[in-house]
Amino acid sequence: MHRVLLPFEFAEPTTVRGALALIDGEKTRALAGGVDLVLRMRLRQVLPEKVVSLQKLPHLDYVRADDLGLAFGALASLRQLEASRAVREGWPLLAEAIGSIGSVQVKVQGTGVGNLCVGTPASDVAPALYALGARVRLTGLADEREIPIEEFFLDVGKTAVRPHELVTEIVVPRPPAGSGAAFMKLAKTSEDIAKVNVAVMVSVGDGAYADVSIALGSVAPTPLRAVEAESLLRMAPVGEAAGVGNPAGAAAANRVSPALEATGNPVSPGLEAAAQAAAQAAVPISDVRSTASYRKEMVRVLVKDALARATARALAGRSDVQAPGGVS
Amino acid sequence: MTKQIAAFTVNGAEREAIIEPHMLLIDVLRDQFALTGTKYACGTGDCGACTVLLDGKPSLSCLILAVTAIGKSILTIEGLAEGPELHPLQQSFVDEGAIQCGFCTPGMILSAKSLLDENPDPSLDEIRHALAGNLCRCTGYVAIFNAVQAAAAAMKTDSTGTEARP
Ligand SMILES: Cc1cc2nc3c(=O)[nH]c(=O)nc-3n(C[C@H](O)[C@H](O)[C@H](O)COP(=O)(O)OP(=O)(O)OC[C@H]3O[C@@H](n4cnc5c(N)ncnc54)[C@H](O)[C@@H]3O)c2cc1C
Ligand code: FES
Ligand code: FES
Repeated sequence: MHRVLLPFEFAEPTTVRGALALIDGEKTRALAGGVDLVLRMRLRQVLPEKVVSLQKLPHLDYVRADDLGLAFGALASLRQLEASRAVREGWPLLAEAIGSIGSVQVKVQGTGVGNLCVGTPASDVAPALYALGARVRLTGLADEREIPIEEFFLDVGKTAVRPHELVTEIVVPRPPAGSGAAFMKLAKTSEDIAKVNVAVMVSVGDGAYADVSIALGSVAPTPLRAVEAESLLRMAPVGEAAGVGNPAGAAAANRVSPALEATGNPVSPGLEAAAQAAAQAAVPISDVRSTASYRKEMVRVLVKDALARATARALAGRSDVQAPGGVS
Repeated sequence: MTKQIAAFTVNGAEREAIIEPHMLLIDVLRDQFALTGTKYACGTGDCGACTVLLDGKPSLSCLILAVTAIGKSILTIEGLAEGPELHPLQQSFVDEGAIQCGFCTPGMILSAKSLLDENPDPSLDEIRHALAGNLCRCTGYVAIFNAVQAAAAAMKTDSTGTEARP
């Protein structure tokens, strides 16, 4: 950790075009909140010759929702997203994921888009957006493109952003009626980044799973969807499958595994099979936070719990999350 | 753009400093303005000791380029007291024994101030969430939460102008 940064050129353009013209490749870095970029510069992991601040770009700090979906701009902070009533009511999965980030300061300063652009598979925002089917809008000098978030993450620290390109907006479709979702994360401390995180969304109709999405973070070079697990559960009957026919199951809306299992609630074959398939999809590494095999096992546990919680929420028709502390 | 004379609004006053783009806000505050109440500890965003309020919002001065704080209103711990009169949060931190070594205190109080500005009557849970980005090695936090609650109560009495009496 170095106390001072090495010198660089600095620009603060006031138009997106102006910024795009300046962002010309590896030696140039865009600065949104700077939480990640400044930290990496102190660590000497990134040594840009030029830093282009996006902070003076107008009209990019919006969070907007309508019947079709949610859209937020490149400068919308994590705090803004978490506190947004529209997000809490319509996309509670996103609010829950951001709520798992402890530090208020990090959320005030850090942007949602910056969090994604770091390209780390440990992002808490990414799995929620994978499960919600979000799309990333990129603006270049000549054109604009919109890609599914799965195509945005390429490898650890690598995203689909090209030179002379910026992410300008994230678009998230509105979850179907009758859906429920849950985000769960395992970390060393509540401040540390995830060892494993999972985001699931299920929609339930006529006693069966109409749709299921299961996203995993921190267990591969990019976040990923556990497609095999999803298809195992699609069309499967809900009732017992989620253990929701009984009081213990209903309480699962707000409970995690040890308590869930301690109630003697039969572990549903459906959820267990899906959770095992999700664990198979994970290709984690061993590092200071966990061994690979522990991560795989935790994928199974967290996916099972998250599915139970999401199902209970879908059936209860409540999926709102509480406002973050102190936001009125 | 390299060296420039930049004007900052610090604790309500205009201050000028010669800065370069790679300078961090914490260094300008401490080394150029001698506002050493803002503490430097981890430098990685984890501890919150360097917290200042930027336009009222708790921000990590160890991860902010000074150049991006030009034109924003910066509040450091030195800007809280009015003359010899401590801010209610400062007074309650003293009264409740919420200060031991004191290293976390400036950041802790500024995070708490931002909370109380938004939400004058926070629950214990809301206080814990608001201070989640500020670490304290000494107190075990309980006295700190008590101090924030006491300050909230004191500020309410203040703003109504009368002390609640039985
Ligand atoms: C103490 C601490 C705890 C944290 N805990 C968590 C956690 O629990 N969970 C979690 O998910 N994250 C966590 N983070 C990470 C944090 O959320 C991100 O670092 C932050 O959101 C990054 O956003 P930013 O706006 O500051 O990005 P910046 O640092 O400004 O930018 C990050 C990268 O993205 C690029 N970039 C930014 N915006 C754009 C754009 N519009 N187009 C193209 N490229 C762009 C930049 O060039 C840079 O390379 C933590 C960070 C810290 C310091
Ligand atoms: S010194 Fe800035 S967060 Fe620790
Ligand atoms: S009083 Fe010592 S770190 Fe908090």
